Amino acid sequence: MIEAPRRKPIANPFPAPAGKGIRKQKHSTNEIMTASQQSNPPPAPDAAVPALRLEQVGRRFGALQAVRNVTFDIARGERRGIIGPNGAGKTTLFNTICGDFPPTEGRILLFGEDISRLKPHLRARQGIGRTYQTSLLFTGLTVLENLFLAVRGAMPNRLSLLKPGAGDAALAKARDLAERVRVSNIAAEKIDTISHGQRRQVEVGMALASDPKLLMLDEPAAGLSAGERPELVKLIQDLPRDLTLILIEHDMEVALPNSDIVTVMKDGEVVVENTPDRIADDPVVQAIYLGGAH
Amino acid sequence: MPMLSRLQWAISLAVLALLLALPFLLPSFWTGNIMGRAIVYGIVAMSLTFLASYGGFISLAQTMIAGIAGYTVAVLAPTAIPLGNHWLPYWALIPLAVAAATFAGAVVGLIAVRTREIYLLMITLALAVGFSLFAQSNIDWFNGYEGIRNILGPDIFGYPFRNLYVFYYSSLLVATALYFLVLYVVKTPFGLVLQGIRDNPRRVSAIGFNVGVHRVASFALAGFIAGWGGVLITFYNIGITPGSIGIWATVNVLVMAVIGGLGHPIGAFIGALVYTLFDTFAATIYDRDRFNTLIGLVFLVIVLVSPDGLLGLFRRLTGWRTGRSVATETMEEKT
Ligand SMILES: Nc1ncnc2c1ncn2[C@@H]1O[C@H](COP(=O)(O)OP(=O)(O)O)[C@@H](O)[C@H]1O
Ligand SMILES: [Mg+2]
Repeated sequence: MIEAPRRKPIANPFPAPAGKGIRKQKHSTNEIMTASQQSNPPPAPDAAVPALRLEQVGRRFGALQAVRNVTFDIARGERRGIIGPNGAGKTTLFNTICGDFPPTEGRILLFGEDISRLKPHLRARQGIGRTYQTSLLFTGLTVLENLFLAVRGAMPNRLSLLKPGAGDAALAKARDLAERVRVSNIAAEKIDTISHGQRRQVEVGMALASDPKLLMLDEPAAGLSAGERPELVKLIQDLPRDLTLILIEHDMEVALPNSDIVTVMKDGEVVVENTPDRIADDPVVQAIYLGGAH
Repeated sequence: MPMLSRLQWAISLAVLALLLALPFLLPSFWTGNIMGRAIVYGIVAMSLTFLASYGGFISLAQTMIAGIAGYTVAVLAPTAIPLGNHWLPYWALIPLAVAAATFAGAVVGLIAVRTREIYLLMITLALAVGFSLFAQSNIDWFNGYEGIRNILGPDIFGYPFRNLYVFYYSSLLVATALYFLVLYVVKTPFGLVLQGIRDNPRRVSAIGFNVGVHRVASFALAGFIAGWGGVLITFYNIGITPGSIGIWATVNVLVMAVIGGLGHPIGAFIGALVYTLFDTFAATIYDRDRFNTLIGLVFLVIVLVSPDGLLGLFRRLTGWRTGRSVATETMEEKT
């Protein structure tokens, strides 16, 4: 059985007051939810509704069909790996989901709600967090300011005209995040002065800042040295188990151990979908990976 | 780096003290026609610098927006020649003019919301030229080519605005307030998001902010700043003409901002002062026609030697590293 989601579907009108963003309180949060549902008409969070559903999603760039007819469900709490050669359309698929390049065909449902036509910032507010294959950070701001903004973006009063004070909750949360992605020692450094590896860690921190319901990591270990890699892999492994995660990763040794199901893409299409232990032996996958994709 | 911050504070206060003492140290021509003029044009230049430095937007519409405030004041001023059918007392008129400029800033932001770089330059330039031509051809409100004269400004504590000290200190007060407003705003979430848009608009929306709305809001804030400049410039010139907000006025403000340096709001005032000095004294050395050649040369040399203006040059010569943003310093102080 799949673990109960930590965060409820967006439509749930009974937000649990405690536990927002505090992972340790998961169980007490669920108790509060149950209690409130007993005393009110139940808008039961339908566990059967997948976290993400793609229905024949496609994306064209002019004459190029970068993503074609992609259909799959991702269950709540599932960790999905996406692998495939360069140019397979993995990043483009992320872009259709987060809204940077919305799908030209098909539908995308987040917890049952059609988000295909929503602007990226509204999808972010619906609980999608993502990282980019090449770091897209605010290079003129510091690590802490980057994380602070990512936290603010998920808050209802995101656009304050007041300077954050010493006890500012968002600032405190940004510091916790810096701790979590192991960049607190460089929190005051500007992005354009820190190393590539550190930027990759901030990337993940930015995506986690909103406590997303769906986290999408696009080759988080891209360009990391052998020495920097384990730190990032550990970061992924330490993510809460109930978080729904999609991980694009070229490196099978990172992708397979961190996925419940692996989707293989090639030429914009899904070619194989299977559990990690069967993926490595799949003839199609072997053909792709031995066929000189590296 | 709290130490640098404290040093910056000390310098700011010293400069402010000097500016306050200046009318007693300088001949009146210097107070009014050099310092005062540099301050009021510097405000408009700062609205450009604000957008450029923190948002990465080069807007050539700031002079036009200042002009909207200026024309609002002129059209409705109680002393205007020619006098319109309606007029308002200055205490109501000045806020109205600034509000009009703020609104105009938002409209410009809305029109240009999807454009960047050269396209943004072209759209804002087109708006600037368009408004100036409109003012020139409109007789009913704007009195066409001649513009509107005799805009004397309010009396302050019983002294006329034309009084040198009243003009100078009022302008200094407004400029200082706006300058610190900018320095404050860029430390707020609003200002940090603006810097985020400068660095990476795609990420700004990926973390939940509406980039378009934010751009419009920052253009409105820049309009608010330019509006104050426009009001004060109109009082300084005792009136307004289409020529004073046309393409050359637009270019001049851009030159001031670039000479001073687009990296920090103070650059706008430094650039305005340098420009004013050249404008005033070059004409006495050379004849008027050669002035434009001279200022053009100075502009060229500064841009070639130091693309980030006199401010950048100063930073490099003194080895001052102000690479870190103002916002971080305050965040660090609280850490
Ligand atoms: N914004 C874009 N405009 C045009 N073509 C694009 C764009 N983004 C991706 N593509 C093209 O789509 C194809 C898939 O690219 P991508 O999704 O980045 O693959 P992957 O992430 O699997 O390496 C490539 O041929 C790429 O050139
Ligand atoms: Mg990719």
